[in-house]
Amino acid sequence: MSNLLKKEGKEADLSTPLQVPIKRRSFFMYAGATAGATALLLSGCDDDNEDDKTPAAGTVNLGSKDIGVLNYAYALEQLEAAFYAQVIATPYANMSADEKTALTAIAKHEAIHRDFFKAAIPEASRIPALNPDFSSITFTSRDSVLGAAKTFEDLGVAAYNGAGRLIENPTYLLLAGKIVSVEARHAAYIRDLITPGSFSGSDVVDANGLDQALPVSTVLAAAQKYIKETINGDNVGK
Amino acid sequence: MNLFNIISELEKVDPEIMDRLSHRRSALSALGSLGKKMALAAAPIAIGSAFNKVLGQNNLADPTAVLNYALLLERLEYSFYDQALKAATLTPTLTGIARTAIETIRGHELAHVNLLKAALGAAAAPEPANGFDFGGAFATYPTFLTFAQAFEDTGVRAYKGQAGNIPRDFSPTVGGATVNVLTVALQIHSVEARHAAHIRYMRRGPAAGAQANIMPWIVGKESNGAPAAVYGAGNPVATFPAEDNIMQATLTLTTGLGATYSAADVSAAFDEALDNTTVTNIAKSVVTF
Repeated sequence: MSNLLKKEGKEADLSTPLQVPIKRRSFFMYAGATAGATALLLSGCDDDNEDDKTPAAGTVNLGSKDIGVLNYAYALEQLEAAFYAQVIATPYANMSADEKTALTAIAKHEAIHRDFFKAAIPEASRIPALNPDFSSITFTSRDSVLGAAKTFEDLGVAAYNGAGRLIENPTYLLLAGKIVSVEARHAAYIRDLITPGSFSGSDVVDANGLDQALPVSTVLAAAQKYIKETINGDNVGK
Repeated sequence: MNLFNIISELEKVDPEIMDRLSHRRSALSALGSLGKKMALAAAPIAIGSAFNKVLGQNNLADPTAVLNYALLLERLEYSFYDQALKAATLTPTLTGIARTAIETIRGHELAHVNLLKAALGAAAAPEPANGFDFGGAFATYPTFLTFAQAFEDTGVRAYKGQAGNIPRDFSPTVGGATVNVLTVALQIHSVEARHAAHIRYMRRGPAAGAQANIMPWIVGKESNGAPAAVYGAGNPVATFPAEDNIMQATLTLTTGLGATYSAADVSAAFDEALDNTTVTNIAKSVVTF
């Protein structure tokens, strides 16, 4: 499994990602030991802080080819992770215990997706941490929060579906596939919270039983209002 | 993907598959003329002509097998929901929003069947002669939903397992519209995931026993009454790990991301793929066809 990226990676910089030797050695050294896991976490944090200096709000270019697609996914996952982190930090007043459990799980999933892309994209090619703009969302309002969540989840599904064909490396395609179905599960759940039974409404699933698949430009145009930086995805997958 | 495995599996279902494959040329010409007749019917035929092209280029081991495999699974799912909606045992419980949801899902599965049939044209395998026998699946409402969860979660894994076998640049132009076959497969895949999430959500309801531990996503490899194989590993295990997998690419995600995440959250954040042989075996463990 650890050879998967090396074997199939077509881009040299991605075939040796993530400071793999260090982390693997740490893992084997500390496997099973709680103290070890903490040490690993702390050393990881040091690296991460250096990696992600907050940029001045300007234009962020996602790049080209597979790196561009990975950055595209990373940008969207950053947005989702930041959104759900805020939802959990400032829950709307009438959030049921059941909803809180599920939304907390979704927040974790999105944070894991974000951190996974951050780790998988070599630092030199990776976009910085983005600054979200959630000024259009009222976090005290269930309707506003779930409406935004629906937008983010449906958009995420359509984005991954549209970008699948842009991915050259089959390993990345499979990884995107592993994530998109989880986004679709989120989307269905959020939709059912808003209107029971709307998990795959005709506004997202067409008469052929097909979910949406949107081009990068359409997705970024929709996502832009939630991100302070201007995202340029002109060369994603090209 | 092992071509011979697919064929031998398909042969169990469809004894005439070898005949069909050896008469590829005639099947192709039949597909071609059918394609012309329906050239204005957009997406389904776009896939059909793309499929035609793949056969010519020999890019895939055998796209007929891949598409017929998908067709069999969609037929199974359609038949399952159709029988459920007609089952007298479910009439008192499968009502209101729940019934509407199952009708919606049945409609999608039928659309998928029709799409794949059109794509395969003359090469489409017929429905199993004796249909699908789901045994005691419709005895009670909770049993029905347990089966539904198994089929939907398996369907998601099945499509994911085939994505890499579809050339990404397969984009024929039909009637001025460009249709990408991989994209269409992904569009079906995410709809199956929406179904899976909703079925799991339904299982949380009072009528289904209020199983609040069942989330719309797959936590670990908890089967919640479905066959354990639905959430287990496929073959080879390195490519098709079980649903409790916490390693993606080269990273152990619980500890390798600069933050600590629980195995439950990590496993739920990624769905896993499954190979066709394992999928077929799962189907045969609960359905006679």
